[in-house]
Amino acid sequence: MPSRVISPAGSARHLASIAIVFLDVLPPLVWLGYVLALALPLAASVAIERVDRQLPFLARFGLLAALLVASLLFVPGVVTSMPTVPTGSIIVAVTLGGPIAAIVGRFAAGRLENRRTGLAVGGGSFLAVLGAAFLGSSVGLAALPATILTSVSLVPAAAYVLVVAIDRPGRRIGLLLPAVVFGGALLGAVVVDAMNFAGPNSWIDWGFLTGVHNSSSAAAAGFYPVIGGSIILMVIVAVLAFPLGVGTAVYLEEYAPDNRFTRIIDVNISNLAGVPSVVYGLLGLGLFITYLGESPGTALVGGATLGLLILPIVIISAREAIRSVPDSMRQASYGMGATRWQTVKNVVLPEAFPGILTGTILAIGRAIGETAPLVVVGLPSVIYSLPTDLSSSVGAMPMQIYAWASLYAGPGFYNSAVPAGVVVLLVVLLAMNSVAIALRNRYQREN
Amino acid sequence: MSTDDLANELTRRTENAPQELLTRAFFFFCAVLSIVTTVAIIVLLTTEAAKFFSLTASLLGVEGQTVSLVDFFTGTTWQTSTGEYGVLPLVAGTLMVVIGSAIIALPLGVGTAIYLSEYASPRLRSKLKPALEILAGIPTVVYGFFALIYITPALGTVLPDIAFFNMASAAIVVGIMIIPMVASISEDAMSAVPDELREAGYGLGATKFDVSAGVVVPAAASGIFSSFILALSRAIGETMAVTIAAGSQARFLNPIDPTAYLEGAMPMTAAMIQLLTGDITGGGLAYRSLFAIGLTLFAITLLMNVISDLVAARYREEYE
Repeated sequence: MPSRVISPAGSARHLASIAIVFLDVLPPLVWLGYVLALALPLAASVAIERVDRQLPFLARFGLLAALLVASLLFVPGVVTSMPTVPTGSIIVAVTLGGPIAAIVGRFAAGRLENRRTGLAVGGGSFLAVLGAAFLGSSVGLAALPATILTSVSLVPAAAYVLVVAIDRPGRRIGLLLPAVVFGGALLGAVVVDAMNFAGPNSWIDWGFLTGVHNSSSAAAAGFYPVIGGSIILMVIVAVLAFPLGVGTAVYLEEYAPDNRFTRIIDVNISNLAGVPSVVYGLLGLGLFITYLGESPGTALVGGATLGLLILPIVIISAREAIRSVPDSMRQASYGMGATRWQTVKNVVLPEAFPGILTGTILAIGRAIGETAPLVVVGLPSVIYSLPTDLSSSVGAMPMQIYAWASLYAGPGFYNSAVPAGVVVLLVVLLAMNSVAIALRNRYQREN
Repeated sequence: MSTDDLANELTRRTENAPQELLTRAFFFFCAVLSIVTTVAIIVLLTTEAAKFFSLTASLLGVEGQTVSLVDFFTGTTWQTSTGEYGVLPLVAGTLMVVIGSAIIALPLGVGTAIYLSEYASPRLRSKLKPALEILAGIPTVVYGFFALIYITPALGTVLPDIAFFNMASAAIVVGIMIIPMVASISEDAMSAVPDELREAGYGLGATKFDVSAGVVVPAAASGIFSSFILALSRAIGETMAVTIAAGSQARFLNPIDPTAYLEGAMPMTAAMIQLLTGDITGGGLAYRSLFAIGLTLFAITLLMNVISDLVAARYREEYE
């Protein structure tokens, strides 16, 4: 199934774009802390796997879980309080450029079937990113943007061009297309600038995307804290709802005996999916804020409420994906002596993964667009900064749009800031939904 | 490895190995969590609502202001500042949204479903169905803004005495919002009708319209009906669009009177949002009234979902 293999260059780009979002939301030092905190247990698990394969499962599991918790608890704190720290651009060059160089190197080695060239390409990529980190400020860009730009855009593109040019001489002509498109756009921008053409005066400009709310002037109002807030909420929702939703689906499809309790769970989930979103808001308000004593409007409360809201949707779509895995594959796995968990892990989940992913993306898109539960759990309608941790206040794009359309109602906001916010929100949602739908169509056609 | 070890290794029972037990326990925990969520919703809504009503508040030992059940369910004024908590104006507002959106969404949704299932070519259908899904994925706050900025002025050119916040635009926009739901569930039901029935119709000389309206729609009636109930239950629970478009004046309007739709009113969900954006103090009467409305809302939507399940199960035609 060659088409199932996602190209390494493409995955490097995806990885990088996700990483950029995080880098913008987190300061580089905090980012370094979390990267190290996740990298240490990963390295330990690889090491254990290499050294001793006979270790009992429970011991290995407990060790790694303890290591992960300890590392997440302590490493970020230790890193942020270190007396001497590398500059932001060096941190980014190592943590972002390093993995990208590794992926690019593997891609080159795989396509050219030559390890040494792959190593050279990977090493060259890393050196280029490091160079950008040191020299970025001397070419007119700040060091941090130069590093990110190099590692995310220049290095993968250059490596791809190089590999195609060496590997498939007949296809070199195809490389002209992106060059022509990009060059044309650049040329157009230069011509418009030089001849002073009047273009459309868009409300969505750099100032809108990077500015903060301004209650006196719609023209000066910005969307930045709520874009970041929505992204943070999205991550919390995904982290909470994905494992729980997939776990429930696996239980119901693979483990559950056919008894009354299972049927109750089944009916219960389909009814939960029909509960109005504002009632989930009341659940969050009553449970998290009144009874558990969290303060209103924090990232954790908002994310957990939205997570509960989409949990039934994730469960239902994951069940459908798991059900569509043919029974013959499960039986083949059992026939080879695999246990139930091994069958789930090695056969069912990988096979159902595209479907599960599609359902989860659609559900997270729904969570990002929800406003009512966030109003109920007390997210602030005006916020000027991004949250620094899970228990500080967070904004969300639909909340800001609602605030502009209600609290600041008037022609100024109606005609400028609200539509601009709506367009940004819709672009994000349509992008997510089209990725999900494209993913599903691609895998449906294969099956 | 000695032969004994090997025999042990080969005959070892894996069903209760720690790895298996641990993973099974995790999956079971996940499944139980959904029950816990439902129980939490019900317990929370009922205890907080019980503190709101005078009949039950004393049983829970809650001091302070309460509202009698009779006043809540038969009162015709909703004015939290003067302590008048009559839910009827809010229910009337919700009913108007449901009636208005049903008039828009049911014919259009079924029409869309018939077109997709009977008339559209497979290629067109594969393009149109994702478009419907995208329509379903647009946030409700966007629909509310759309109603306020586009639908209300458009209605204003035809009906000049329409208020800026009015029920008509709220109902229309909720109707547009639930079209995809009606269309996709009805279409699933129509696609499940076996081709033999259609071919039998054509064999009798029926036209495409005769077959669609006379064979497919009746055969898929239970699915279409349950799509109606699910969509209207969504319309009842819809919050942001009506909050933005219908305003925040609780008026007791007559849902049967068409001219009432030109005025603004406050459906149940909008009242909840209005309570929250106003200054409510945690634990006060206004805070508890929120849960009383929430419980009413939850009970209505739960009842509708159960009815939809029953209808689908009772009247489903089984085709082999």
